[in-house]
Amino acid sequence: MEFVVGIDVGSLSTDAVILGEEENILGYSIVGTGDSSTDAAREAMDSAAANAGVDMVRASLIISTGYGRAAVPGSGRQVTEIACHAAGAYHFFSDTELVIDIGGQDSKVIRVGKGGKVLDFAMNDKCAAGTGRFLEVMSAKLKIPLDQMGTFSLAARGEASISSVCTVFAESEVVSLVARNFPKEEIVKGLHRSVVNRVWAMTRQMSVKGGVTMTGGVAKNTGVVALMEERLGRKINVPAEPQIIGALGAALMALRHLKGAAAG
Amino acid sequence: MIMNGHPEARARRDYILEQKRGFGRRVIGVFPAYYPRELLLSMNILPVEIWDPPLESSHANAHLQSYICSVVKQGLELILQGKCRDLDAFLFPHTCDSIQNLASIVNDYLGIEKPCYFFYHPKAPYKESSRWYYIKQLEDLALRLEKQFGPLNHHEFKKKVEQGEDLRRTIGELYRRRAEGTLGLSNVEFYRILRQVEYLHPDDFLPVLTAILKRPPDRKSKGLAVIVSGILPNPPEVLEHLDRLGINVADDDFLSCSRRLLARPAISTVPFEAMADSYFGMQPCCTKGSAIEDRLKSILDKAKSSSAKGVIFQMVKFCEPELFDVPILVEGLKAEGLATLVIDTELNQGMSGQLVTRLEAFAEMIG
Ligand SMILES: Nc1ncnc2c1ncn2[C@@H]1O[C@H](COP(=O)(O)OP(=O)(O)OP(=O)(O)O)[C@@H](O)[C@H]1O
Ligand code: SF4
Ligand SMILES: [Mg+2]
Repeated sequence: MEFVVGIDVGSLSTDAVILGEEENILGYSIVGTGDSSTDAAREAMDSAAANAGVDMVRASLIISTGYGRAAVPGSGRQVTEIACHAAGAYHFFSDTELVIDIGGQDSKVIRVGKGGKVLDFAMNDKCAAGTGRFLEVMSAKLKIPLDQMGTFSLAARGEASISSVCTVFAESEVVSLVARNFPKEEIVKGLHRSVVNRVWAMTRQMSVKGGVTMTGGVAKNTGVVALMEERLGRKINVPAEPQIIGALGAALMALRHLKGAAAG
Repeated sequence: MIMNGHPEARARRDYILEQKRGFGRRVIGVFPAYYPRELLLSMNILPVEIWDPPLESSHANAHLQSYICSVVKQGLELILQGKCRDLDAFLFPHTCDSIQNLASIVNDYLGIEKPCYFFYHPKAPYKESSRWYYIKQLEDLALRLEKQFGPLNHHEFKKKVEQGEDLRRTIGELYRRRAEGTLGLSNVEFYRILRQVEYLHPDDFLPVLTAILKRPPDRKSKGLAVIVSGILPNPPEVLEHLDRLGINVADDDFLSCSRRLLARPAISTVPFEAMADSYFGMQPCCTKGSAIEDRLKSILDKAKSSSAKGVIFQMVKFCEPELFDVPILVEGLKAEGLATLVIDTELNQGMSGQLVTRLEAFAEMIG
């Protein structure tokens, strides 16, 4: 066996991880999902393969996850992103008892047991409240690049209060705050607070005492992470590249599947 | 308008017309959930239940607040779209505030030409007077119905009550065989068949069930067993998906199914008394104000006897009685080591990607 591939076709990003036999990451990629899951999957796998310097045709097994998991060419198995984020987070932080994955259209809270096994989970409802999409809409409205939202929020002295969780209503609140010359930093912090509050409602149900790991694109937002830590009252583990954790989990499962098959 | 082309709806309508023509039966549209079926049947009235008509909701929103369950919304839509022409009357049992509200909209404000009947049943905790009250309500309803449909024949009433007992026993056997894993019906098939109880006359429905039970027992199914709780098994795509995932619904706690279709056998043979026996012998239910401990115990017992690994709560959005119970049930089931999943569904709305992920993640978790 040379390598396995995990691919996570999410609503906003499609991420691929190429994993060697020793659970070592050989290469990865993050591309936009766009309007075709299949095309995005192909692009992500090709780019990760180029990055790892391997030829995709030699992949021993591809496991796909995420919303577009059924549309991945060559996928040998499909697993939900719940199980994959749990496995991926546990790989980096073995004290993980809770995973908070905030992606583009979903936020998920996963209670994790030994070996990264899923014990329980909760997911947000259909709307965009408390998700990355909500933050994207606001970042466009405020003309602050997504990757600077965290810095803005951390620099805030005060905090705007955003009362609506609904993206549409919150957007009009933001418009009126901007019109009243409210400092952008404080608006951003208020928006982050609203995301954290939404996710907190799910986190609270799980009542865990051990390590908490954040995954998904929103974990790159230092403002959200800081407020979540404040809410939880402890440090949160954040992987170096949180956006690929679902794909990594899928790759780990592929590896275990092959090793299990070889063993017995 | 989906209704005319919808095969189940068409089968239902054809059946109703045939019952009217062939047997001179009158037809009452009954809203959920508990009502004295046998009393209606003994007066040659066919009860046709209105739970989830497959209609595009367009008119009902004008009369209802937005945070209302779709059972009420769809029921009102059915009336407003003029699809109740074949019915002779409506019956509104006192199930919850939302049905109560619907009853008043239909009866007091819509100005429809059809008689509306109301049926109040006692809510738990039951007192000594509860049984007396229930029988009194039955007698009152009988008196009111007699004015429109002619006198109650007591001999016929006794026969129908006995048939009702027979039906409960047969459905109970169907549930027992399913929990044991030897029934050999998919989740979709089981509920498609069982839900015919909502409009078939027992003379026609009982033979369907008996025929299924007569088939030789299937090999024990190997899938993962779960219990599903909720108001009714809709959207059916959830069952389809569970079938696909190899998950067997081994028992349920649906209001439209086990909660009201199963009951301890009646002790009395006097019709009104026997009906009270079965009413008070039904399973615990939030719409009857049952103690949450009783409901939890009932679900736990089901899980134990069917070796279920988890419980799925398939919620009708904005169903208040259920919303009060579910968080406490979830907590209690988890404490007993059962996995739980709560899903919010809209009637006849199929499955979203999120719903698929939840079901699949649940299957992975208990697998
Ligand atoms: N550099 C960044 N800084 C801050 N936030 C970011 C950054 N990159 C991405 N995000 C956030 O991450 C979100 C996308 O996350 P992710 O890629 O995990 O979603 P997804 O997996 O496609 O969605 P889902 O899991 O809901 O299907 C974006 O909406 C954005 O808010
Ligand atoms: S019991 Fe729930 S679903 Fe049924 S009518 Fe009442 S509120 Fe609606
Ligand atoms: Mg994702």
